[in-house]
Amino acid sequence: MKRGRKRASAWLLAVLMTALAACGTKAGQGETAGKGTDAKAGGGETGGTSGGERTDGEDAGGEKILNAGVSFNIASMDAHLDYNGWYTNVYGVTEELFKLNGNYEVEPWLAEKAESEGKTWTITLKKEAAFSNGKALTADMVVRNLERAAEKNERFAWLGEYEMKAVDDGTLTITTPEVYPTMMNDLASPELAIMDLDDSEDIDNNPVCTGPFVVSEFEPKGTVKVSRNENYWNGNAKLDGAVFYYMPEDDTKQMALQSGEIDCYDFVTASAMEIYAADPDDYNLTVLPASRLQFYILNEERLEAGVRQAVTLTVDKEAIASFLQGTVTAAKGPFAESSAYGKVTVPAVDLEKAKASLEGAGYVLNGNGFYEKDGKELDLNIAYYASRSLDSLAILIQEQLKEVGINSHLTCEEDPDATYIATGDFDLALYCMIADKAGDPYYFIDSTLRDGAYFDVGGFDDPECEKLIDQLKYEIEPQKRAELANQIVQRAIDDHAFGYVGLFNKVTVTLPSVTGFAEHLPYDFYGIDADSDKQ
Amino acid sequence: MGGAAGLPLVKFGWEAMNVKRYIGRRLFQLFLILIGVTFLVFLLMYLSPGDPAQRKLTAGGVAVTEEVLERAREDMGLNRPLLAQYGSWLGRVVRGDFGESLNDGLPVAGKLAKGLKNTLLLSLTSLFAALLFAIPLGTYSAVRQHGAADKIISFLTFMGNSLPNFLIAVLLMYFLCLKTKLFPILANGSAKGLFLPALTLAIPLFSQFTRQVRAAVLEQLHKPYVAGARSRGVKESAVLVRNVLRNSLISIITVVGMAGGTLMAGSVVVESIFLWPGIGKLMMDAITAKDYPVVQGLVLVMALLFVTVNLVTDLLYHKLDPRIWDQGEETS
Repeated sequence: MKRGRKRASAWLLAVLMTALAACGTKAGQGETAGKGTDAKAGGGETGGTSGGERTDGEDAGGEKILNAGVSFNIASMDAHLDYNGWYTNVYGVTEELFKLNGNYEVEPWLAEKAESEGKTWTITLKKEAAFSNGKALTADMVVRNLERAAEKNERFAWLGEYEMKAVDDGTLTITTPEVYPTMMNDLASPELAIMDLDDSEDIDNNPVCTGPFVVSEFEPKGTVKVSRNENYWNGNAKLDGAVFYYMPEDDTKQMALQSGEIDCYDFVTASAMEIYAADPDDYNLTVLPASRLQFYILNEERLEAGVRQAVTLTVDKEAIASFLQGTVTAAKGPFAESSAYGKVTVPAVDLEKAKASLEGAGYVLNGNGFYEKDGKELDLNIAYYASRSLDSLAILIQEQLKEVGINSHLTCEEDPDATYIATGDFDLALYCMIADKAGDPYYFIDSTLRDGAYFDVGGFDDPECEKLIDQLKYEIEPQKRAELANQIVQRAIDDHAFGYVGLFNKVTVTLPSVTGFAEHLPYDFYGIDADSDKQ
Repeated sequence: MGGAAGLPLVKFGWEAMNVKRYIGRRLFQLFLILIGVTFLVFLLMYLSPGDPAQRKLTAGGVAVTEEVLERAREDMGLNRPLLAQYGSWLGRVVRGDFGESLNDGLPVAGKLAKGLKNTLLLSLTSLFAALLFAIPLGTYSAVRQHGAADKIISFLTFMGNSLPNFLIAVLLMYFLCLKTKLFPILANGSAKGLFLPALTLAIPLFSQFTRQVRAAVLEQLHKPYVAGARSRGVKESAVLVRNVLRNSLISIITVVGMAGGTLMAGSVVVESIFLWPGIGKLMMDAITAKDYPVVQGLVLVMALLFVTVNLVTDLLYHKLDPRIWDQGEETS
């Protein structure tokens, strides 16, 4: 019996050893392959890379290939569809007539200049601008692109209402029903990238565009490989190519960078920032306030001015930014303070003044340590959704309000637009959106502060503000526009209608060998360009 | 009815059962299940707040006007009543047309085919690897009950069962990719990249299977026929392989059949971490975007897979022990 059991054990062990041996062979093969380096633009199978560390700028074949981890993927390279243009820009494939710079200003790109006279804009194209197939950019092609974008993208349907025509090969005009001061800014939208509609036979996978790179391999919703555009109209790209790996998981991106499989990525998390900041010799970390805003709306129909003022005086944005560990910068207004239209003032945090404001409104502290009025405890409904750190924000605001004696409860919704934004069922509503999408304040102001606007759900109603918004709509002079915007936003702040809590930082990490991954531009839709390099 | 050694060997045969009738009945049930499941999912998505137009247009964090939203809803056919929307989806599916994704316009059938291929490859590799190790180790652990090997195996399987997939994935990535550089982090569908995601999924499966095999083998080892065989001098290995393991197969098949759910749930996390382009990740993205056609297509495929696996499991039960089915037939 004992002998039999021993035999059975030996038999089973033999099977196991065989299996283990098989596995061992696999691991061994992995090791050998892991020491290799990758071929051009990621090479290998379906974008797979080896586990080998890249320590210099040259990949196999002596080419300079930038490997980037990105948090987004697209189904088509057609820049006019959805938000695709944001990413075709990041890939360095597409360009627009105008672009936005680090000072939140619009500047010419494919266009030489733009002049407005009344309701007509005259846009002159750069003579040297050309597509990757060598064909010159023409005004007719630009007009056709704009018309196509209006037809293909619901968000740009408004363009279809304008009269656009090519005057000659290098000039086009756009005539609008009303004076349109932000035409250049809107034409800088990446969805209005210019493609060669005649020669882009496979526009979903390989459009012919004007950028410094061309698509060499596109996997819908996956990896994108680009290579240098040898016919680039604006100089020679320093990189031979780039590979953009879709990497939605933060841990994956972090380990891929540390192992040398990628050279850079953005949307770096707070915990990863700490690691990179502690090792400046090996990683370059760039942090700058960007255009995505965390803000709250106070419901004026439910909360009287004294309560709203108390909230404004209590919410400590610096403390919130500190808690969020560098992922946001405390905001004063909705726009970056460095922009001309970001100059507003907010009252300093003052808990005693906040209490006085509540008491001035007739509230008294009850036995629970919270303010009440007519026997009814003040209990704010803080509505939020669990994204863009708004869940942390909701808890932090709740805790801060508790300090001055304002009780509150949290309501988490999966879809804010279909719930509290649509119904107005909140006292304090949290939201996050891009406030500055085109280097101009009008879009955000029109979306939030104008009477009846999509986000004007807290009952903010200021006739003077309406007048100023109307002026802003038609004002041509940029400096005057900035002044108007500052006045408008200041009125909303002074009315305690909105609280602008933080601007998400654009956080990019690169290996020291990498430069020019748009780390110094506050917009999400720029990436590599002709100057991007990897030493 | 005994075997050569007079043991109660399972009879392998298809007599005394109407396989075709059984399969036909199950396929009819499958049809009802598919209608029920897809309608229920469609209803839940319809009733939940938000709509695909809004998700799609505000995906970049840019606000849009109600007018733009309404136009997009109209274009996507989202303003029609629930039954009209479901009916038109069903009508297309019956004709073999799964439609296009509302989120990105890509054909759903193509997404399903690609995702399913990758997920099946990943799942079957994990399943095979788990079984390859679980059967010998589970059996060995049972034979060596209370011994050192049994305790080590039990501890390891306990750990494997307790660790969540994402933690296993991150640990494997840390040690095998970052520290030793044996494997690439960027799997991206490559053959070499299959190893780590498959291993991540295989570890909990292996742990689950090993414990099940151990329990099943132990149960059989305590049966009188084993003692009888041993007393008649039948070789231990013959008893173990020809009788004990064979009679344990029903328990093993049950747990393997149920592993489909574990694999599907695990693949969502594992596919995201290892960038494996399968249906787990596809499902997550489609639900977030409220992309009805993709979700419906996936539900259809998953329901089909589950019902097929269950049917195959039932057929195997009968093949291994016709009494199970016969009893079921009698009572039904």
